[in-house]
Amino acid sequence: MPALLWADNVSFRYAAGAPLVVEGVTVRLSDGALVGILGPNGSGKTTLLRLLSGTRRPSSGRVLLGDRALDQLSRREAARQIAVVPQETELAFEYRAIEIVLMGRHPHLSMFAVEGPDDIRIAEDALAATGTSHLAERPFHELSGGEKQRVVIAAALAQSAQLLLLDEPTASLDLGYQLEISSLLLRLNQDHGVTMAISTHDLNLAASICRELVLMRDGHVLAAGPTAEVLTPEHVKALYDVEADVQVHSETGHMTVVPVRRISR
Amino acid sequence: MNIRRRLITVVAAFAVFAIAVMLWAPTVGSTSISLARAFDRTIPWDSNVDAQIFFVARLPRVLAGALVGATLAAAGVVLQALLRNPLATPFTLGVSAGASLGAMLAVTMKLELSLLGITAIPLASFAGSLVATGIVYALASSQRRGLSTNVLLLAGVTLNAFFSALILFVQYLADFAEALRAIRWMMGGLDVADYFPIIAALPLIFVAFAAFAMMPRTLNLLSVGAESAAAKGVDIVPAQRLAFLSASLATGAAVSLGGPIGFIGIIVPHLVRLMVGSDHRIVLPASALFGAAFLVLCDLVARMVMSPLEIPVGVVTALIGGPFFLWLLVRKS
Amino acid sequence: MIKMLNTKNTKITKTFVLSLFFVSFVAFVLKDVAAQETPRRIISLVPNVTEILFAIGAGPQVIAVSTYDVEPPEVRSLPTVGALVDPDTERIIALRPDLVITYGSQADLHTQLKAVSIPFFDYRHGGLDHIMVTMRALGQRTGHVEQADRVARALETAIDAVRNRVAGKPRPKTLLVFGREPGSLRNIYASAGKGFLHDMLTVAGGEDVLKDIDKESAQISTETILARRPDVIIELNAANRLNDADLEAVLSPWSALSSVPAVRNKRVIILTGSGLTVPGPRVIDGIERMARALHP
Repeated sequence: MPALLWADNVSFRYAAGAPLVVEGVTVRLSDGALVGILGPNGSGKTTLLRLLSGTRRPSSGRVLLGDRALDQLSRREAARQIAVVPQETELAFEYRAIEIVLMGRHPHLSMFAVEGPDDIRIAEDALAATGTSHLAERPFHELSGGEKQRVVIAAALAQSAQLLLLDEPTASLDLGYQLEISSLLLRLNQDHGVTMAISTHDLNLAASICRELVLMRDGHVLAAGPTAEVLTPEHVKALYDVEADVQVHSETGHMTVVPVRRISR
Repeated sequence: MNIRRRLITVVAAFAVFAIAVMLWAPTVGSTSISLARAFDRTIPWDSNVDAQIFFVARLPRVLAGALVGATLAAAGVVLQALLRNPLATPFTLGVSAGASLGAMLAVTMKLELSLLGITAIPLASFAGSLVATGIVYALASSQRRGLSTNVLLLAGVTLNAFFSALILFVQYLADFAEALRAIRWMMGGLDVADYFPIIAALPLIFVAFAAFAMMPRTLNLLSVGAESAAAKGVDIVPAQRLAFLSASLATGAAVSLGGPIGFIGIIVPHLVRLMVGSDHRIVLPASALFGAAFLVLCDLVARMVMSPLEIPVGVVTALIGGPFFLWLLVRKS
Repeated sequence: MIKMLNTKNTKITKTFVLSLFFVSFVAFVLKDVAAQETPRRIISLVPNVTEILFAIGAGPQVIAVSTYDVEPPEVRSLPTVGALVDPDTERIIALRPDLVITYGSQADLHTQLKAVSIPFFDYRHGGLDHIMVTMRALGQRTGHVEQADRVARALETAIDAVRNRVAGKPRPKTLLVFGREPGSLRNIYASAGKGFLHDMLTVAGGEDVLKDIDKESAQISTETILARRPDVIIELNAANRLNDADLEAVLSPWSALSSVPAVRNKRVIILTGSGLTVPGPRVIDGIERMARALHP
């Protein structure tokens, strides 16, 4: 199956002379994939997502969207195919939820165009898909953490992109919201056919919804492949310096990771 | 939900208000005049006091007030979104300090040059604003990846402080009357008594507003975050460059016309946001229109309250703006 | 015991306070005596008072002046000790003056001079009469009573002569402008209803068009000028001389107010020279030039 988005041996440094934060990484996202990118803090997950979305250009290597080089596309063209959910959304001014979601239509609108009925319908669908229709007219800053995250995901959905890249979507949420978001993502992938890459610290989230994993450490890919093959105690140890038990949970059938102790290298 | 209709309705309402203020303002003043006489073309111009009060003393200052008010308010909106900081003003990035230093130097060096009919002080203040903009821009883009808004803010604030120190130094060296004149210029004044300075400022302000017209959706996205704006199709660096340069140049032109009149660039955008929300497609044009009306009204106060004495219009805006600003801060926290 | 202590304390306090009074009284008397001595080392921080000092014959006693002093030419070789807002207190004290001429707003300097017991003569601008009052007061203070009186009387006579010359003539409504932005009609400052400029204009036979404003100077709008319709506009220009082209450039902005009689009848008059705004002995020169302008 041809890759929809393919980072081919990419490396990246933020400024000349600065160290490489991503080094020789190759990642393939095929159509309909749900890939988790795992790694400790500073492993280069967020940077890899930026390279995949095209908001940063690799210092070497290339990113292909279908059969086109991503950096040949304008930002607008790229944004019509790749949507991103950033880790945090901090508004400078107060917007209503629907306004945030409608901003997702930006790459589809010409400079002086105003959102028409189609755009509004797409935004409403995005709200519905994330279960936030009732929040449409609420000020964004009044929403709870989980509600905010769902609205931001809806804004990304409103981009009508086939690819969705999420940067630690559950990082600041409590257990209930974590479950809510993970089931939402799974549903979007399965029912709406959205191809996804999710960077996360949460091994159990990754284990429960991702079919493939990419393990990153210090800017390198440590291992990549189907979740069941990649999520091993050896890899967890190499990734986090933590001894862990990996089991299959009897009720959900998901793999679960139970950290046992930290080991020094 | 029809977004286009809402945009048009709200902006039109602001336009009606601004036009009403601009039509009314020249008819009132410290002297009462007969409009019939002012518009009576059978009376020779040289002996028609009413017409001269209307067309020389009042209309130019109303037009200058509208132009300066609209520009400062719109530039405030653009810079607040660019810096993602609701407390930013058109003067945050050093433009007004540069302009004031230029004006100060023109006064103390007794510059009498003029270019295309623009006199020394406006010319020097505009040159000063260009220098300040250039320095801030160069500092902020010296980092390899585009324009850093943090550096922009720091460089602007630092330059403001540095130029203010230079202003004090020049003021210290200047003689008393010169220092007083320069200080007076810094309080702002719109009694231009001539249409030429307004016409001279127009082209630049027009170009800046053309740039502003392309920005509203981008400004919305920047308000949500640069990273997410980029992911939603905004070319961040060119967008930031355009926003910074157009807002700075427009501010420079406005300041050279009316002096560094404070608080317009922050009060007006905030009042407008309180009324209509944060969508820049409304906030930007509505702020320009409301800013025009607001400054014209402040100038009306400046020329009437203590007549025949004038209160500097910058003092009026500060007296209204200061308490408002504090209220805003308290309300935020 | 406690009561005793208290009584004792009160006694000590009483003695202390009394002796303090005595000491300060002696100091006051001595200081007053010292103050009455004829000063030999005068520092003047006020340029127009410097001119007055030289006019009344106290010039040789002046040992230092402010940075703005240029008249009379003798002062140009004297040391300078700062000016209105930045007096160099250290240098002033180091020069060991026995009289310092200060301006009324220099409160810090006053405190410092008091602390080191240097007497000072405090001056503030006033009306035209105040020039003569200052002359005579300084004559008394510096030991030139007669010459000061002579100079003051000569000035009064000259002023009266102008007053008599213009008496009975129609008094044109006049706007006396002393500052505006070059090349435009912006930030116009004019003499208002009091102060020596207003008095000079009145003596010279003009009716101050802003006489109802109880201030020495006022910033006025073009609307006010249009509404008040002055017959003459006298504008003071600090330049020493203007050639025809310069003069035309200075006058041209006024043409926008063509309904003002002064503009229409070409009676906007530029008086050049920096001495015009100095309330000192040269004031008569300004009055005579104004009178000639108003009553040619």
